Amino acid sequence: METGPILRALMHNKTSFILIALQIAVTMAIMVNAIGIIQERSIQMSRPTGVDEANIFYLKSVVFNAAANYEAQITEDLDAIRNSPGVRNAVMTNTVPLQGGGWSSELQLEPGVDITGTGVAMYFVDEQGIDTFGVNLIAGRNFDANEINWHDFETNDWPPLGIVTVGTAEELYPDEPAEAILGKTIYVNSDEPVTIIGVVERMQAAWNSWSGVERSMLVPVKRGSSAVRYVIRTEPGYRDEVMPQIEDMLASSGSDRLIRGMETMADTRKQSYLEDAAMVKLLTFIVVLLTAITGLGIVGLASFSVARRTKQIGTRRALGATKPAILRYFMLENFIISSTGVVGGAMLAIALNIWMVEAFNLQRIAWYLIPAAMITLWAVGQLAVFGPARRATNVPPALATRSV
Amino acid sequence: MLVMKDISKIYRTDTVKTHALRQFSLFVDEGEFVSVTGPSGSGKTTFLNIAGLLEEFSSGVYELDGRNVSGLNDYDRSILRNEKIGFIFQSFNLIPDLNIFDNIDVPLRYRGFKSAERRKRIDSMLEMVGLGSRAKHLPSQLSGGQQQRVAIARALAGEPRFLLADEPTGNLDSHMAESVMDLLTEINADGTTIIMVTHEPSLAKRAQRNILVHDGRVSDAEPQLHLAAKSA
Amino acid sequence: MFSYYVKLGLSSIRKNPILSSLMVAAIAVGIGACMTVINIDYIMSGNPIPHRSDLLYHVQLDSWDPNDAYDDPDRPPDQVTYLDGTALLAAGEARRQVLSYKTGRVIEPEGDDLRPFQADSRSTTAGFFAMFDVPFLYGSGWDKNADDNEEFVVVINKEINERVFGGEDSVGRMLTMNGEPYRVSGVLDTWDPMPKFYDVTNGPFNQVEEVYFPFSVSIAHELGSRGNTSCWRPVDGDGYAGFLGSECIWMQFWVELHGENERQAYHAFLDAYVESQKALGRFPRPMNNRLNNVMEWMSDQEVVDKDVRVLLGLAFLFLIVCLLNTIGLLLAKVTRRAGDIGLRRALGATRRAVFAQYIVEAGVIGLAGGILGIAMTWLGLQGIRVLYGELDFIARLIEMDWAVVSAAVVLAVVSALAAALYPTWQACAIQPASQLKAL
Repeated sequence: METGPILRALMHNKTSFILIALQIAVTMAIMVNAIGIIQERSIQMSRPTGVDEANIFYLKSVVFNAAANYEAQITEDLDAIRNSPGVRNAVMTNTVPLQGGGWSSELQLEPGVDITGTGVAMYFVDEQGIDTFGVNLIAGRNFDANEINWHDFETNDWPPLGIVTVGTAEELYPDEPAEAILGKTIYVNSDEPVTIIGVVERMQAAWNSWSGVERSMLVPVKRGSSAVRYVIRTEPGYRDEVMPQIEDMLASSGSDRLIRGMETMADTRKQSYLEDAAMVKLLTFIVVLLTAITGLGIVGLASFSVARRTKQIGTRRALGATKPAILRYFMLENFIISSTGVVGGAMLAIALNIWMVEAFNLQRIAWYLIPAAMITLWAVGQLAVFGPARRATNVPPALATRSV
Repeated sequence: MLVMKDISKIYRTDTVKTHALRQFSLFVDEGEFVSVTGPSGSGKTTFLNIAGLLEEFSSGVYELDGRNVSGLNDYDRSILRNEKIGFIFQSFNLIPDLNIFDNIDVPLRYRGFKSAERRKRIDSMLEMVGLGSRAKHLPSQLSGGQQQRVAIARALAGEPRFLLADEPTGNLDSHMAESVMDLLTEINADGTTIIMVTHEPSLAKRAQRNILVHDGRVSDAEPQLHLAAKSA
Repeated sequence: MFSYYVKLGLSSIRKNPILSSLMVAAIAVGIGACMTVINIDYIMSGNPIPHRSDLLYHVQLDSWDPNDAYDDPDRPPDQVTYLDGTALLAAGEARRQVLSYKTGRVIEPEGDDLRPFQADSRSTTAGFFAMFDVPFLYGSGWDKNADDNEEFVVVINKEINERVFGGEDSVGRMLTMNGEPYRVSGVLDTWDPMPKFYDVTNGPFNQVEEVYFPFSVSIAHELGSRGNTSCWRPVDGDGYAGFLGSECIWMQFWVELHGENERQAYHAFLDAYVESQKALGRFPRPMNNRLNNVMEWMSDQEVVDKDVRVLLGLAFLFLIVCLLNTIGLLLAKVTRRAGDIGLRRALGATRRAVFAQYIVEAGVIGLAGGILGIAMTWLGLQGIRVLYGELDFIARLIEMDWAVVSAAVVLAVVSALAAALYPTWQACAIQPASQLKAL
């Protein structure tokens, strides 16, 4: 293989060389980082919430009659909903995973005002909460009906029992298995004790980009107020049918109230990751477009480079180069140029990534993206040069004897 | 060594049929220095291309070194060309991006010689043409005469059966032309067969024998002073 | 001569249609990508209230946890407590001030065929409307007396006015909210600050609220915030009263100050206030009060999406790839036209003349690329709308104004000229003689 002469020849005619190599390098830098971001977002978006997303929907009931008895209304509503056809269970709670708004409090291992706590998302539920959300209780037990208390805006004390997620247990007691938290007492609001009676495998918090998104706690409280949220889990497949039925039933139940904000859990997820999903699509489009442009650019530059050397190709053929030898020459030349490009590209990609991690707090790219991109761009380069290289093989040897 | 019998070359377009060569015959023995002359348009370039296996011919027989080349495909022709023929072109046809060493190296690589063998041959060729010290120079840094000497070195490096020269001094001034022709004569004296195509009668005189081409045919083949050329 | 070169440029483009269109396309795609992202960034980081943005200041007090900053590394909370907000309001040290928070009301229109509906509401003191230069269709806001007397007044927006009062001048009419009648004192005209600067904590790109009523009334009704409420220590007392006396942050406080002197004076006042609170055992953290004007606050809160900035970086690199392509294409064109150049030089054109001719040609290509690039930008923005369509504020981000359009053309021409420098320099280096032989 004529690597030596090709390299020396490239040194004397740097223009095409530099243009192609630079294009490949910049393309690679963009490609690697874009794919890195795509990966990062895709992983984020695929995290399970832990709840039965396919069959859950929720809505808000806003009572605007100030004299209403909230507790009675809520109890009546929940009974009616739970007994509706197609409904498996329902619960009144403050929020759902990925909703974007919710309640978080700090949990401490020791009581005291100066102790550092860990932020944990709170879900206020009754004993039907676990079944309604469809989360998996892996240790301990659920709340009993008589352990649930009614609170209103006035009540400030915290119930003495709680159920946490594995994420919470692992954060509070990192050196122990999650189940070991059963029976332990942790403190909320600085000094109110809560004994953990159960561990749930997973129930994400309302904020998808929060570092504590896997840390939640179920609190046995029903908070009576004018605006409440009902979360409803239907039997598999019944969700779409049941939704308008429940809405109508509640809205026409005669009290002075509005039903609003009815959403499915599936839409909540979609809304929560909307920007990430869009970013993924956008970056994918950019990567594809960029590869196409670079590929076409190389086709153009290679055609130009081949056309410029027609006389030389004829001479080589006259000197005995076979057609395959000519093809190999141009494929090898392009390979050398691409190699320079991808090596430069690797460095540029890493430099760009370092800057983006600094400036935008992105994640470092996985190491294997670099060789993957190198191989892709090598392939793109070889594919792009193939056409012009084949045209080069058709230059007739008799060209060498033509004058000028 | 080179036998052409009744070679014809016809170029066809949709409307016109051109006979570039008609029943062209030529015999060249080993060690001869033969010139082929004729006015422009006479077909000598076509002869050159066919003799050099650069083009196919329409009819006739061409035997090179005892081997019939009809029906050879492009691949085999290329290999044969590389082994048997050394080209010298009017405009030198050196590759401008390569230095002298790499230029001479080109046909040797196609031959498949190993690196040490190639280096040996190139060094000895450069010595022979007196350009040993300019191995790393580019063609643009050499004079016309020097460039043609490099081309000759390139042509000889593979020990071809014959040199095929196309107006070897056409782009040179009279002084350089002399020295190149001297070199060719010397090479021929050492035993290399040379076929030279030219339109200049004064150049043709340097060969032992001249073949006149006219309208695609051989005219009177004038046997020239064999002995006089050989002893020069 | 310039017009001659322009003519030459145009004819050269016609003679090499494929090469020229590829060049124009390459530039257009690069410009389209860049300007799409620039458009979005430009709108997101625009000044929502240009004639007043350096007069309005957002107040931050560090009333937070001694063991833990509100936000790393040492940033104070983005909202204030009820105690501090009302205290600063009462002190009245600034030219104008406003304390407000986001909440919700249910509007009960008269008539059986109109159903009640929820309205996004803002509970605010009177200064809101003048300070933030809110446009009114009918009537106006209320005054300090209304605040002090807990009057049931309300300002509604145009859409609610349409819906409830059929679009008439409803000033003076009564609107029932949550069972109680409020007097309409004003109807807002279309108001669309981008971003919603006065409350970036709770959705910087949301629409402004639909209904505005006095802060004092809201507190009297024990209404909480519909936005973020954060507390670093548990609420001590019971009920709403306890909540009001807590360290929970849930409202926004803005002041109006003219000039550096007033700003410094107010900052000094804030420090003094915090000192006095420290004496009462509050504000355990070191003094860390902030006064940011509108643009400073937007920047501090990083209102422009991080994703937009990332895309901006990638888009510029994309443009560079397109430009590298353009350089290659121009080189090809120059090589093809080598004969023409040699001829012109032989006929007496100077190097400078050749340079001028090709630079002007590149400029023409750049111009064409820029115009096509505007179309590409429009396409790109439509694509953004399709991708992000579910976000309410997208419609406003994809509007192109003249600044963006001109920028596209300027960027295209400048890029084309930059790309042309090397090929043109090559063109000038062509020796007349070398080409004549080939002709």
